[in-house]
Amino acid sequence: MAQVLTVLGLESSCDDTASAVVRFGAPTPIASSVVYGQTALHAEFGGVVPEIAARAHAEKIDLAVEAALQEADITLDAIDAIAVTAGPGLIGGVLAGVMCAKGLAATRGLPLIGVNHLAGHALTPRMTDGIAFPYVMLLVSGGHCQFLRVDGPDDFTRLGGTIDDAPGEAFDKTARILGLPQPGGPSVEVAAQSGDPKTFALPRPLLDRPNCDMSFSGLKTAVLRARDAVIARDGGLHEAVRADLCAAFQAAVRDVLVAKSRRALALCPDATTFAVAGGVAANQTLRAGLTQLADEAGLPFCAPPLRLCTDNAAMIAWAGAERLALGARDDMTLAARPRWPLDTTSPALLGSGKKGAKA
Amino acid sequence: MPSDPLVLGFDTSAAHCAAALLCGDRVVASVHEDMGRGQAERLMPLLEDVLGQGGTTWAALDAIGVGTGPGNFTGIRISVATARGLALGLGCPAIGVNGFDALAYGARDVKTWCAVPAPRDHLYLSANADLPVRLAPVSDAADRTVICATDTPAMAAAGVRVIAPVHPIAEAIARVAMARIGQEVSRPVPLYIRPADAAPSREAAPIILP
Repeated sequence: MAQVLTVLGLESSCDDTASAVVRFGAPTPIASSVVYGQTALHAEFGGVVPEIAARAHAEKIDLAVEAALQEADITLDAIDAIAVTAGPGLIGGVLAGVMCAKGLAATRGLPLIGVNHLAGHALTPRMTDGIAFPYVMLLVSGGHCQFLRVDGPDDFTRLGGTIDDAPGEAFDKTARILGLPQPGGPSVEVAAQSGDPKTFALPRPLLDRPNCDMSFSGLKTAVLRARDAVIARDGGLHEAVRADLCAAFQAAVRDVLVAKSRRALALCPDATTFAVAGGVAANQTLRAGLTQLADEAGLPFCAPPLRLCTDNAAMIAWAGAERLALGARDDMTLAARPRWPLDTTSPALLGSGKKGAKA
Repeated sequence: MPSDPLVLGFDTSAAHCAAALLCGDRVVASVHEDMGRGQAERLMPLLEDVLGQGGTTWAALDAIGVGTGPGNFTGIRISVATARGLALGLGCPAIGVNGFDALAYGARDVKTWCAVPAPRDHLYLSANADLPVRLAPVSDAADRTVICATDTPAMAAAGVRVIAPVHPIAEAIARVAMARIGQEVSRPVPLYIRPADAAPSREAAPIILP
C-alpha cells in the first residue's frame, strides 16, 4: 500500500479563512476541514471589501490551523507537509495565509507547497470521488467561471471561460437589484422557485459564438432594465414579479452553462467524467441541467458536496499533496500572486497588459 | 545557571525588512534592508540569515517580537501573520510590539510624543495625556518635539523637531518583547488606527410590493 501523506492546508484568498488536514492516500482523506466565513463583516458593503477581508484573515488564519489540528485530533508533529493557497485572489488575504504557512513550515522543518486556488477546486473530484484523468471541469463560483480539461495535477487546459463577470457575481448583483439578501445565490434560487422563467425574455449571451466563452455582465444589466420597466409600470416590485425575474435569470444562466458545457465536452471525447465545482454548482436548477447534459453525453457527472465546492482548505491540502507527489516544492521565497492563470499557454480571457492574465 | 532568553524581533511596517536577535540585553545579530516591495518574499530568508549569523536555530527561541504598526497595512499584516505562524510552530509566544512602544523604548522623557509618518502629510501619533493614538495632519505636531525614525519635508516645514529613537526598530521591538516575557500576552494584532476604506452600498433596494 502506498504511503499516506498527511498535509495541512491553508486557504485565505477571498472571504473564507480555512484550514484542513488531509491524509493523501488514505481511504477517507479529509481528517478535518475548518472554514471561518466573513459574510457578516462585508454585509453592509454589498460585496467583499479587500481590506476588511485581509484584516480578518491576518488575525484568524492561525486560529483556523489550530482548530483544524484539533478537529483531526493530531498535533503538528503528525504533519508531513504544509500546503497554502498562493493565488490567485485578494492579495492581502493570500499574503496572510502564505506568511503563516511559511512560519509553520520553517519552524517544523516541513516542505512548503504553494497551491493555485483554482487547481484546488479543479482537483477536488479526485479527493471526493477518486476520478481519473482526463476529465472536464466546469469551475463556476463567485469569482471564477471556466472550463478546464484536467490531464494531471499540474496539467490544465482552459477550454473557455467568462470574458467578464462570474455567474456568482451575477447572482449577487441580481439579488441586490431585486432587493434580496446576500449572498445572492441561495436567495435568488429560493425566490425563483415560485416564479415562471418564461415571463421575461432575458438574453443568452455569446451562444452565437462557436467557442466555450461566456459573458454574464449583460445578463445582469438586462435584469436591471426589466426591473426598472416593471417599477415604472407598477410603482414597485411585486414579489410574484420578482420571482419571475429570478426564475428567468436562473434559466438564462443555466442555458448558457449547459450549451457551453456541451461544446466543452465535445472538445474532449476521451474525458472520463464531467465534473463541476464552485459555489454556483450548488444551484439545483443549474445542477439539473448539467446532470442531464452529462447523461446525454454518456459521462458520469461529479459534483462534490457543497462544503467542498465552495472555498475550503481541504482542496488546497489535497492539491498540495498531488503536487508534492510529483516532486514539487517551494521555498521561503514563495510569493503571493493576485493573478495566476492555471493554464499559462491559452490566450488570456480576463486581464491583460503588463500584469498579465488574471486567472 | 539558566542562559539568557533568546528573542527574535522583526518589522516590516514601512519600506524595509528589519530583524534583530537579542540574547538577554545583548544584540547577537541584526539586519535592516530597505525595500519598497518584496517583503513577503524576503522576510523569512532574512530571519533565517539573522538566526544563522547568531549561530542559532528556530528551536532555540524563547519568544518572537513582532512590530504591529502603525504603518503600511500590508507590511504589518506580513509580519503579524508570519509571527503567528512561527509562534504556532514553535509553541513559544509571539509578542506584538507597536511602533510607538518601540520608538519610546529607552527614551529619556516618557512624555515625548512618538510619531510614525503616514501618507498625505499625516502622522500616526502616540497616545499622550488625554489624547488617544490617532492619525493627524503633520500640523498637529507643529513646533513640538517628537520621536520619529524619519524626518519628512512636511514635518520640517511644520517646524516639527525630530529626535531619533534610541534603538533601531527591530532591536527595540526585541527589547520590548524581552521585557514582556512571562507576562500574559494575547496574539499580535495589527495596529491600523485608520479604519478600512469601505463605503456602504449606495444602490437603493427597490420598493417591494406584496
